[in-house]
Amino acid sequence: MGQYRVTVDTGGTFSDFVYVNEETDEVSIAKIPSTPDDPSRAILSGVQLLIDKGVKPTDITYFCHGTTVGTNALLEGKGVKTALLVTKGFRGIYEVQEQSRPHGGVIFDILYDRPALLVPASLTAEVPERVSFQGEVLEELDEKALRDALAPLKRAEVKSLAVCLLFSFLHPKHEQRVREIVLEEMPGIEVSLSSDIVPQIREYYRLSTTVINAYLQPILARYIANLEDRLTGAGVNTRQKYIMQSNGGMSTFAATAKKAVATVLSGPAGGITASVQACRTTGLQNLITFDMGGTSCDVALIKDGEPSISHRGKIDGRDIALPMIDINTVSAGGGTLARVDRFGALEVGPESAGAVPGPACYGRGGTQPTITDCNLALGYLGEDNFLGGKMKLDRKAAIAAVDSVAKPLGMDMQDAAEGIVRIINVKMQEAVKAISTMRGHDLRDFHLLAFGGAGPLHAGRIAADLNMAGVIVPLFPGVYSAMGLVMSDVKHDYVRSRMTKIASVDEAYVDAQFADLVAHASEELQMEGFADSAIEIERSLDMRYAGQGYEISVPLPAVLKAGSLAELRNLFDELHRQQFGHTAPHEPVEIVSYRLRGIGRVPPVKLPEFKPQGLKTADAIREHRDMRFDGKTLSCPVYQREKLDVGATFNGPCVIDQLDCTTVVFPGQSVRVDNHKNMIITMGGA
Amino acid sequence: MASAAKKTVDAVELEIIRASLDGIVQEMQNSLFRTGFSTIIRESQDASCAMMNPQGDVIAQHVVLPLHIGAFPACCAAVIRAYDDIEEGDAFLINHPYDGGSPHAPDMAVITPVFFKGELIGFTGSIAHKSDIGGPVPGSCSGQAKETFNEGLHLPAVRYQRKFVENREIDRIIAANSRTPELVLGDIRGQLGSSRLGEQRMVELVSKFSRDNAVACFARLIELAEARMRAAISEWKDGRYEAERFVDDDGVDSGKPVRIHVVVEKKDNNIKFDFSGSADQTKGPANIRPPTVRAAIGYVLVSLIDPNTFINSGVLRAYDIVAREGSVLNPRFPAPVNTYNPTVHALVEALYGALSGLLPDMARADGCGSRSIILGGRSTYTGKGYVQYEILGGGGGARAKKDGQSGTSVNQSNAKIAPIEIIESEFPTRVLRFELIPDSGGAGQYRGGLGIRRDYLNLEDARFSIRSTKHIIAPEGAGGGGKGRTGDIIVNPDTDAAKQLPTRYADYPLKSGDRFRLITPGGGGYGQSLARDPDLVIRDLNEGYVTLEGAVRDYSVVATKTGDLFTLDAIATQKARANRG
Repeated sequence: MGQYRVTVDTGGTFSDFVYVNEETDEVSIAKIPSTPDDPSRAILSGVQLLIDKGVKPTDITYFCHGTTVGTNALLEGKGVKTALLVTKGFRGIYEVQEQSRPHGGVIFDILYDRPALLVPASLTAEVPERVSFQGEVLEELDEKALRDALAPLKRAEVKSLAVCLLFSFLHPKHEQRVREIVLEEMPGIEVSLSSDIVPQIREYYRLSTTVINAYLQPILARYIANLEDRLTGAGVNTRQKYIMQSNGGMSTFAATAKKAVATVLSGPAGGITASVQACRTTGLQNLITFDMGGTSCDVALIKDGEPSISHRGKIDGRDIALPMIDINTVSAGGGTLARVDRFGALEVGPESAGAVPGPACYGRGGTQPTITDCNLALGYLGEDNFLGGKMKLDRKAAIAAVDSVAKPLGMDMQDAAEGIVRIINVKMQEAVKAISTMRGHDLRDFHLLAFGGAGPLHAGRIAADLNMAGVIVPLFPGVYSAMGLVMSDVKHDYVRSRMTKIASVDEAYVDAQFADLVAHASEELQMEGFADSAIEIERSLDMRYAGQGYEISVPLPAVLKAGSLAELRNLFDELHRQQFGHTAPHEPVEIVSYRLRGIGRVPPVKLPEFKPQGLKTADAIREHRDMRFDGKTLSCPVYQREKLDVGATFNGPCVIDQLDCTTVVFPGQSVRVDNHKNMIITMGGA
Repeated sequence: MASAAKKTVDAVELEIIRASLDGIVQEMQNSLFRTGFSTIIRESQDASCAMMNPQGDVIAQHVVLPLHIGAFPACCAAVIRAYDDIEEGDAFLINHPYDGGSPHAPDMAVITPVFFKGELIGFTGSIAHKSDIGGPVPGSCSGQAKETFNEGLHLPAVRYQRKFVENREIDRIIAANSRTPELVLGDIRGQLGSSRLGEQRMVELVSKFSRDNAVACFARLIELAEARMRAAISEWKDGRYEAERFVDDDGVDSGKPVRIHVVVEKKDNNIKFDFSGSADQTKGPANIRPPTVRAAIGYVLVSLIDPNTFINSGVLRAYDIVAREGSVLNPRFPAPVNTYNPTVHALVEALYGALSGLLPDMARADGCGSRSIILGGRSTYTGKGYVQYEILGGGGGARAKKDGQSGTSVNQSNAKIAPIEIIESEFPTRVLRFELIPDSGGAGQYRGGLGIRRDYLNLEDARFSIRSTKHIIAPEGAGGGGKGRTGDIIVNPDTDAAKQLPTRYADYPLKSGDRFRLITPGGGGYGQSLARDPDLVIRDLNEGYVTLEGAVRDYSVVATKTGDLFTLDAIATQKARANRG
């Protein structure tokens, strides 16, 4: 039977599985209802599905999982009882946070409250100690005071403790000693040190990240231990068991259990890594990923085959200072509602019909038009083949709903439907621009990679309006995140802040700063079973003009030699010019942080390549349907994706249906099916 | 210039253009935040961007600082007044509060005209706070200024670029007048880049939708914004409402409170704000100019009507203002204006006070206002100056059904707090303490938010200035709630040499080794304090937000400690409350 890779992405409704036979490259997929109370049950069912086909559990040699366990615990406030320890006199760091409110409507919102503290003040303790900005101890750690401060926390039976002391990124010894004492006083408690999690300058972001880790870590650790038990019980005993992290790299079960905060974007990261694979299979290195579902749309940028990473982000208003894939989310999905206000202005979103009542065409009581209703009214969606025909859509209800908006505007129903779709498209285009043109990228060099239930419906128009190179619709857009888990690498990020003027140090100094990090990263990967030849180290420096509030990461060459720092300084100026439009070559530049990524290369799996079967493209046409494009109704073919042969080419306007997704090809666009059965849509004619 | 053809707009195009404008101002703002050199732009984000029509009315603004919506039209008007030969490739600078609309001189506007096929179709621009624009004190905001001539370099509308080329003479004048010339010029360069980006995007938008369609949609968006405000106002009860607030003093006439008074008259869909009862213009820098007054009213109305409404000059047209010339809200040149924020906070709170009669569910107590501290010095070795500038919030006012937020920016202010590790790494200062202040929130059924305490140790001689508020006059409660605790600034506290500085004070010479303590005000409470759920008082006690004494004094709640936690002594509390009630 061969050896298998099994991956699973657990979502709210379904757990998506991908199985790859490593010998035949054969890929199969499955969707199993999720079991939110214990996601590992659904996971085991998915694994059992393969075993039932006669595959030996020991032939499952690789398992990777995209999880929302940490994310959900954070969003729902269901982490463990957590305490916080800070330098004496500095409780304000957590309670004041950034002090400001988010931009936009919130500044006007009298009723706005920032997210509640994950650790209440009553579980925050202080310890006398102080380190200077140069890492010198100004005041020794007062161990007796610490033990006294821990006593009430112990009595409160906290399960986890976050420690964030000022300048611990320069002098971690105090935090490390705190951990020793905590473990003596409170055996069994989990301890998260800010100098371990993110030894980086700016105390609030470091503290917030550490608190989130402490809050989630026992939950994730328990979940992973349970999953490990179940898998082992089922006979799946491979060492290669991974969890996807927010940075787009995998981490072993054991490492993830210690750094829970790194998993908060585990779910969406899978889709991005799948897109990185698409760069390899299609040869197209610059992509915008476009994942549109029922209520929201996620977009991310991949340049030269590498996803754009940000070093800080917010999840549900909470700050996390860890590398994470830079995903921009806008509230736009199939369920987004349109309405006319009393001044005759047409508004689309941000409200969504949600699962109940859902779009009018679902026949569950919805009367307001949604984007899905518009797509049905315009003929892009068919009534009979939604979800592979499992769900019938009510076109009359959709038309009536759109009409309820068209009438007060004095518009034709289909004009209104097209208008509503144009408006939602513009909102999604703005989200794409925010991560691309607004950061100095030229969209003409990018393809839009569409997945999620609604992505391929809208991608063609959005790519055309943004003047992009084309659209890619992968073979399995509905389980795309799970596809991404099949082929990733293990990636561990490390950082250390040391503010230094670059002119005052030499190459040896910089190498010395990295030395510990390099040793640590190599050791960690070796312990996870990677041979030296499979380990790669990438170094970069966060640099800024002295006094600026924002840093740029500048990649370092593998070996520094005399003159390298001068070249880095020039490279910094150049990157600054690219991103911000100007430079200040005469201003001093300072290094703020040393960043390192340890990569454990996992042997790549070959995605299946298909040979032409000699199928006629015309035979893939199931029917012709009236569709509306730019005010004109045209009779257009509806293709069945499964029947499209490798190498098939055809022109829009047309629609391609598959089990979980519909692709619209607009007039003037043409489609080619490549040998991985991706559909590549280009803007000009064929 | 050709007049805008009157045409009805297409509902779809209107919404598409609106969404696109949102994107453009966001893009300008991102560009500015990322290109700005100074920590004020990058960390505190004290800057905003907008697009205007040829008359200078704001079509779209990225709302970071709500007050700037009043400043942009006034700045554009000054450019139009000064120049009748505006061409493509021009750029203008203006920071003059009387010629233009900057709240004070450090708020420098960069305005660029936008041409489409040879016709002026609008302006793009930004306003960003400069770290130092000269004048007697670092940061340019002297609490003791008596004329605008004490408030730094003032540029009326001046042409900064012709055919996209800078006038280096203006750079040299600015550089010669600032303590931090690189930061100021670097930030102006960033603003210019953002403005040009907006210009390019506006031209693309107009060419995509045709000149006539775009111009008609711009006009309609302004009309709609006004119509939305008026429709909401028409639903309010007609009547006359009145309120007043006081600013501690003006920095010159110390101890003399400055009155801000408003009479609101509301009839049908009209609303008028009459400030005639406000104080005469002040000798010190507590004055604010009418563009700022108009913007402050807009801020309050938007917050009461719909925080997510699309914001442009139409909002500002929905109401009438009477501001007596020669008053603190309409001063005569050259009355000083640099410390405008305390007055704006008092104005905003007077407006909320008056309007809470109309909208009881939206009532809220006063908050902490906003304050900045500035430490300036100069290295004797390099000759280079530094300006450490921090903006601090405090307690927010309690709301009709919620406690106030603690340690937050309030009202129209929204600066981030500077990280301690960054401050200590860059400036000769050490922070000794940073925490919320127990009992500083006003008592009430809903408690005011807590103020902040921050203690500093000064490691080198430095010049210290503060522009604060509510050190004398406490934040008011609402609906019977108690006042928030006042703020304070004390040099060398807890010593025999302790010295309290006034609310606004410029250029105090701090010595190396001096300490100072900044206390920021708590928010006012809402509702009777005896109506507060005793369990919530116990919770606050356990969280350290009120003290045991405060619980008894302010809430008549008696607690006993069992183990580590306080629990309610229900009988004693009932008795204490009965005696009070």
